[in-house]
Amino acid sequence: MPNRRILGLFKEDEAAANAADALRTAGYTDENMEFLTGSPYPEGAFGEHVPAHKLYVFPLIGAVCGFGTALLITIGTQLGFPLVTGGKPILGIPPMMIIMYEGTMLAAIIFTVIGIIFESRLPRFGVGLYDPRIMEGYVGVLVNCAEERLSWVDTLMRQSGAEDVKVEEPLRR
Amino acid sequence: MQRPHLRRTSREHELSFAFPDTPAEAGKDILSRHLRLTSRFWKAFWVLLLLFGVGLLGLALRILGGFDDRAAWGYEAALFAYLLTTAQSAPLVSIAMRIVRNHWRRPLARLSEVFAVVGILNLLLFFPLLMTLPPQEGRKSMWFGWPGSPHIYDSLAIIFLVLCGLAILLFTSMPDMAVLREQASGRLKGIARRLSLGWVGSGREWKKLNLGLGYLGALYFILLIGVHALVSMDFAMSLVPGWIDSIFPAFHALSGLQSAVATIIFSMFLMRAIGGYREYFGLDQFWALSKLLLAFSLLWFYFWWSTFWVYWYGRAPSEVSVLKLIMFGPYAVPFFLSFGLNFVVPFGLMLWNVARRSIKWPTIAAASILVGTFFDRIRLYVSAFSVEDVTGHALESIPATHFPDLIDVLIYVGFFSGSILMYMVASKVVPIISMWEVKEWLRLRVVRTFLRTEVAVVAKPE
Amino acid sequence: MQERTAIPDSKINSDLLRGLLGTPMWWWVAVIVLALIVGAGVASVAITFNMGLGLWEIHRPIMWGIMIVNFVFWIGISHAGVMISAILRLSYAEWRRPVTRAAEILTVFSLMIAMVHPLIHAGRPWRLAYWFLPYDFPRGIWPSIRSPAVWDPSAIFTYLTGSSLFVLIALIPDMAVARDRTTGWRHYLYSVASLGFRGTPRQWKLQTIAGILLSGLLLPVFVSVHSIVSWDFATMVSVGGWHATIFAPYFVIGAVLSGVSAVVTVMALMRWLFHWEDYIRPEHFDALGRLLIAIAMGWLFFFVLEFFVAIYTKEPAELALREMQLFQWPYNVLFTIFIFAALIIPVPIWVSRKMRRNITVMFITSILVNVGMWLERFIIIIPSLARKQDLTFVWSTYHPSIFEISIVAASFALVGLLLLLFSKVFPLMPLFEQKEGQRFAAQIRVGRRSIPGVVREE
Repeated sequence: MPNRRILGLFKEDEAAANAADALRTAGYTDENMEFLTGSPYPEGAFGEHVPAHKLYVFPLIGAVCGFGTALLITIGTQLGFPLVTGGKPILGIPPMMIIMYEGTMLAAIIFTVIGIIFESRLPRFGVGLYDPRIMEGYVGVLVNCAEERLSWVDTLMRQSGAEDVKVEEPLRR
Repeated sequence: MQRPHLRRTSREHELSFAFPDTPAEAGKDILSRHLRLTSRFWKAFWVLLLLFGVGLLGLALRILGGFDDRAAWGYEAALFAYLLTTAQSAPLVSIAMRIVRNHWRRPLARLSEVFAVVGILNLLLFFPLLMTLPPQEGRKSMWFGWPGSPHIYDSLAIIFLVLCGLAILLFTSMPDMAVLREQASGRLKGIARRLSLGWVGSGREWKKLNLGLGYLGALYFILLIGVHALVSMDFAMSLVPGWIDSIFPAFHALSGLQSAVATIIFSMFLMRAIGGYREYFGLDQFWALSKLLLAFSLLWFYFWWSTFWVYWYGRAPSEVSVLKLIMFGPYAVPFFLSFGLNFVVPFGLMLWNVARRSIKWPTIAAASILVGTFFDRIRLYVSAFSVEDVTGHALESIPATHFPDLIDVLIYVGFFSGSILMYMVASKVVPIISMWEVKEWLRLRVVRTFLRTEVAVVAKPE
Repeated sequence: MQERTAIPDSKINSDLLRGLLGTPMWWWVAVIVLALIVGAGVASVAITFNMGLGLWEIHRPIMWGIMIVNFVFWIGISHAGVMISAILRLSYAEWRRPVTRAAEILTVFSLMIAMVHPLIHAGRPWRLAYWFLPYDFPRGIWPSIRSPAVWDPSAIFTYLTGSSLFVLIALIPDMAVARDRTTGWRHYLYSVASLGFRGTPRQWKLQTIAGILLSGLLLPVFVSVHSIVSWDFATMVSVGGWHATIFAPYFVIGAVLSGVSAVVTVMALMRWLFHWEDYIRPEHFDALGRLLIAIAMGWLFFFVLEFFVAIYTKEPAELALREMQLFQWPYNVLFTIFIFAALIIPVPIWVSRKMRRNITVMFITSILVNVGMWLERFIIIIPSLARKQDLTFVWSTYHPSIFEISIVAASFALVGLLLLLFSKVFPLMPLFEQKEGQRFAAQIRVGRRSIPGVVREE
């Protein structure tokens, strides 16, 4: 039986946490549960565990790329048009450092932004099973479960205090 | 509560303190540690006292040698500037953090303020150094030849700085002295009674205390920056013809801020390791200060670069001579050591969050800065003091490297020992952990459950 | 300090999205007036490109007039964003919440406007391509990386890119709210802009980290940008009044003072025009006022140091220049206005808590500060050029032309216009920050007193 997704909408965050507890007791883990909120909650507020991210790799790679590119540009332009200005040496390190610093930071920032989008698992084409009320303050508990368990999960969520439960439409073949 | 996803390198973190977390028990715990005097303490006391005596002997020998040979006093000037930059700047950490009103500073507040006592020692170095300064005719001076300058005004500034620091220490320790007055015995009881200035802990007294500490703190800040500017200009910049560096006083002051943070981090580490206060200086204190250390190390580079860059780019002959003197000539070795230890090492270490969030790495970075500042003051002051002809438009010739002699070594050993000695003695009179501030903290902080996790709620009464 | 009433998330959404979802009359009036002023500036630029820079009548030795003053001024204002939003994020200050977005976009827009000034000042800006693009044009000339005019574009471009990306990342959650509240083509646009953001814990965690990490990366960039602009002046050995080592931090802290004051101005306007009294409260102005005192005192230190060390040199040319700045017409009047407007009037006012909480007073003092700081740049740049060399026959005076004045006025109008246009498409205050702030407010009982507090996760 294929897996289906079901979304419970809770007005009170305590109710959502209760539903999460009940689901965990039934054997569902972080892998098949997701929480959707309209604003940040303290980490672990619903008992979830967000795995460590590797965001710090991105600015490092960016910095190395930017440093290398800027080094090439500064050396290249100075050798390409060697003009002694004010008695300063052709390949003088201090002025090179300014352009290299800017290049390093630019690339680091760009790669960081790419990393943030990537680590957030974005861009995502379409929001999937979702409800606009989430951004109005509701908490959404999204469960990935087997098709035959849908009604059981539905009942559990409503018992925990869900105001509304939506089920994802099955994929048409 | 299991929070496995938060990597900790140490067990202590804000949600659970390692020390007793009710005000009454914390107070009792701090008091008992304060009243404990081990034999190790007494051994250290006598050794340091002996070494300090040797240092005083060295200073006396130097004074007997006269004040005409300024080059001979170069290392003493560097030592004076070093103590100003490290120990006398250290109270600023507590002052600044009190202005910003954060809570993690509380355990280290008194630790930082006690450094004011080292200022008294620095005065011993300061007055002979004043005698070595040449007259102002023919050279640039910030005083423009005003009568009595620089001796009177510099002396007033530095005496006020020391007095202000001691006043801050006195007032901030009044509530704790009141506790000691009741709970201690013997000589300490008598001292505490005098130092508590009749404190009873009424609401009005607390209000006045907070207000007074605010004003005194701001005054100390202004005086310290002023003294940094005065010392850097009178004892270094105006002794080198052609050295016109508008950022140098600011660089000197910033170096003081960086060294202040480094001094505190290193002292916290020592208090944990051998001072018997392990539980009070936790990860939060090191983490927060390491972020400041990163910022100040970057700023150190930035202020140094401002001087170097403008001189390198413009290539005016007088400026190139100055660069040779203080950076790339006879004092190139201390300069590169200082550059590496004040910037490369702390920046390289504190860049990584894993390193910042530990006890070991900020301590290593702090130690690096303390050694780096040592070499930095040497390259600035020994070079300035070794210039023979202070008149003229530019440096005619670069003097050779001046190496320390035995008397310099004796003075260094003696004064470092003396500083540690004075701090140790002060820390056994005044509790090194501020009891009243830690108790206030425990009262203003509650750990609560939020849904399925724990958070700390920190009150902000202002 | 944290005085607030609990506001439900949906009301936060409605209030802060008011600008996107409706257009009041004042908005149209403001846009039209500002567009007219900008139009006049554009016309001046077009005429200048057509007829040449000689139209401005700038001549040696004062080759840089109020266009460059304005350039430095707008670079200064652009330091608002990173200072406020980065430093306050890194220190977890609660009162940053309404301020961050306005500060960040003020940065982006003022940087864009600043960037245009040297391009116009070149007179034939299309030739600048040869100057700073690392491309082998047939002339065989490569950019000289030893030139301050090459450092400027690299620094400003880096800062502009970084700030824009910073704003865009922080906008993603708000775009999701806008997506959920609109229909039709706007819904489609906001769906694309929000990249499919749903609000999972991972996404929120990365938002917080993004704020901190990007702030940490942008802070050194922001310091470097204005330092590089200051080195346009400081590295010039030939201009005595400029050749000082202190210019870099001096300009940076002056920029921070300008920028934070500009943020106060924008916040007061936002509160009044959008009726955001629940979100922009006197406590925010109180905190900004205290920050401004600290910044102004730091700035004063550097200003005194710069002036003092100039006199310390005891060089006749330098002393004559300083005398002219302080005592000779018209610079004496400008200097007096500058020092009173930037320091002597605002700072004592900010010391009073009651004054800091009075939004009209804060609005007026913030504008005064920026008037003073604009004049400060004028006092640094023009007199130093007027007395550049000891040869009296090249001394001259400076009179700004109508073209320069209209371009300067257009720069102010353009920033206002861009802000107004922005407010129609994106919310000027971060929605999720407000909601998070509500959640993190808490109370602690100590004895009989209930003290407001703030939640810390670790």
